[in-house]
Parts: sequence; C-alpha cells; structure tokens
Amino acid sequence: DALVSCHRHYRSRPTHGIGRFKYLLPKEAPKKRKDKVQMKEINVGTEYEYGDVNIQMTSYDMCLVEHFAQYVHKLCNRLSIRVNESYAMPTKTNEVLFLEERGSKMQLDAVLTTHQRVVQISGLSSTFAPILLEVIQSNQPEGVHLLVKEHTEADFKSRLKSRPELEELLAQMN
Amino acid sequence: TAAAPRPWRLFGAMCLLRLPRITQPLEKEEEEMAALMGQIELEKSHYSDHEIRKLEEEEQLRRRKESMYDDDDEAPGKTVIMAQDLEDKWEQKLLQFKAAPRITDADKNNDRTSLNRKLDSNLMLLVKQKLGNQELWLLPQVEWQPGETLRSTAERAMATFLGDHIQAKILGNAPYGIYKYKFPRAIRTEDNVGAKVFFFKAFLQSSDFSQAELKEDYLWVTKDELGDYLKSEYLKKVNRFLLD
Repeated sequence: DALVSCHRHYRSRPTHGIGRFKYLLPKEAPKKRKDKVQMKEINVGTEYEYGDVNIQMTSYDMCLVEHFAQYVHKLCNRLSIRVNESYAMPTKTNEVLFLEERGSKMQLDAVLTTHQRVVQISGLSSTFAPILLEVIQSNQPEGVHLLVKEHTEADFKSRLKSRPELEELLAQMN
Repeated sequence: TAAAPRPWRLFGAMCLLRLPRITQPLEKEEEEMAALMGQIELEKSHYSDHEIRKLEEEEQLRRRKESMYDDDDEAPGKTVIMAQDLEDKWEQKLLQFKAAPRITDADKNNDRTSLNRKLDSNLMLLVKQKLGNQELWLLPQVEWQPGETLRSTAERAMATFLGDHIQAKILGNAPYGIYKYKFPRAIRTEDNVGAKVFFFKAFLQSSDFSQAELKEDYLWVTKDELGDYLKSEYLKKVNRFLLD
C-alpha cells in the first residue's frame, strides 16, 4: 500500500524527477558550531539610527508573554523594521514560602515561574522610535514588564552557558 | 549679514500623557471569543498534579469507608494534608482579597482636575493660557528662545506649569505635530506675521506629584473630551498625533 501511493515516477518515465528543485537553490555554506556574530551600527550622525535594540518582556504568565512577543514581531514586520532574532531566555523558578507562626509553624508553598522573551531589532530611525515605543507601551498587557535597551556583549554572553572544564584547562595552560 | 529675522514666532508645547493604568474592558465579541476558547482549552486539557492527587485521595477515602476500618487506625498517626483542604484554604484566601475599584470616585464626580479619573485611557494636560487678549484652553506652551532646542522649550513649558520635570519622559528629539496660525491684522507687523507651535509628547512616570504648583486652571482630559475645550483648527492638528 505504501509502495503504490508513492508519487515519484520511475526512471523510464519521461516525467522522472519532475519535482526536483534543490539543485536550483544557491549552495549553503556548511554550518559551523561557533556563532560569534556581533554587529554594531553607527549611532551618531545626521540620521540617528540605533544599532541592535533588545525589547525584553518578562512576566509570570507564559501565554501572555508569548502572545505579546508574537504581536511585537508581527508589528515590526508590518512596519518593515528588520527583526534580527526573537528568542527566549531560560525561565527562572521562584519558590515562595509563607512562614505562619500561629501555634504550629506552617509553610505554604507557591511556585512562580518567570518567563522572558526578547525581540531583537535593528535599523530603527530615531524619528520613528518614539512612535513605536508608544504603540508598544499602550498595547502592553497587564502583568508584563517591558524593557527596551541596546544590545551589548553582556546580553549576548548571558545566553551562552559557561564551560567550567574549558576554563580550568585554560587556567592551567596560562 | 546675519540671518534675516523670521516673521514667525516659535512656541514649544508639551502634550503630557498619563498612560492608562488598567486595560479597557473587552468588547462583546472579544468576551464571547474568550469564553469559547476557554471552554475548548478546558475540554482539551489534561489533569494537573493537584487534580490527580485530589482524585486519588477521594478514591482512598471511598475505599476506606467501604472496607473494614483497619486502615483508619493508621491514619491519625500521620498528619496528611488532603488536597481538598488545600483547595479550601486557597478559596478562603481568594475571598479575603479585595481588588481595587475600576471606576474611582473621581469618575463618579466627573472631577476633571484629578488624575484618578479614567484609569483605562490616556489623559492629557490642558492649561488655560492668555494669548494676546484671549484666554484659551491650550496644551502648555512657552515661547522659544534663540539658542535652545525646541525640546528644551517644551521641557521648560512643562516645568513652568508643573514645577518638576523629572517625572515625565520625552522619548525623542523630533516634534510630533505643528500648528501655525497668523495673527489678526490689527497686531500683525512686518516681523510678526504669525506663530508656529511645535508639539512634543511626554509620558508621566509617576502619578503622584504635588499639584500645588499649578497657578492657572488645569484639566486632565481624554481624547474625546478635547473637543469640548480646544478650537477646531487646533484640535485637528493635535488629533493627528494622538493615539488611542
């Protein structure tokens, strides 16, 4: 049954290889493991253009944050602002313990997870930036904290995990 | 020669916005949609840990009642917190919590000078100013001095009317709108044909400031109520840069 439902024709048929297209696409360079891309644009000039700008949204409610990040991404697409990346930072779990001291000590636990989404934008002109900020601010849902800042090395490094063995070996070498 | 003196006088005006503090209530379609989606999600979802625990404990209770009361001797030994007790505790806590009212007192009194008015829409500051021989309701404006940027003119306008300019944030250096008008023929001279007013927008960061500084009359109005106070031409230009 699975053999008969195959749509590809045999070699003797004239229509053999009718759906091929991968050979037409430009060749992609093989992916390397290390990603050290750091782009910084001119900030000072007659035409004020911001470099990479990070819009960070944090909240306890994951659905809200994700939907808001999607909304911001689509808004930037509509306004033809280039979006470099849109990624999520690891979630932080907080345990809230209540210590009630009425007779027997009770500890009520609550587990809160903080989620963070980041949308990275480049190519903002300074005449347009305040309008964009205002639109995002006025459409902020409740419970979502908004933070807009420029992209720095520290932000880039915070996404990477530290490798203690590598650092030990490097320290031994030096 | 130096630049010829321009016939227009320049003013910088500040549109101070207080951002909404609560979200606007949902429309009828939005509410229905939200209810439908909630229903679908509820039916599609699986049991959470807490619910599974609750079901297991209910089954244990039922089994103990049906079978002999042998297990009951063990139960008082260990203090087990049942899931049902936790739920009851949480419900009690919820009942104790009281949310702040959405419609504040200022809304009921329609007191337009207070900031607590419409918590779900933008509020703008309007001030009564004297221009020539007319007293008009305008966005606070101040004349431009040569040598300062238009943005600092707007900040000065805000400072003269509020006293403190730290709590409001102007986002960019570019003005949002412009309104130009010509003086009536009586006052018009060669140098003074008319005036141009440049509007800037700022957002109030904190809502509490001592409003004792304001000498003249002031109002906090929403976009719809602007029409009651501003002149039509002025209103048209101001409306162009106001988002709702």
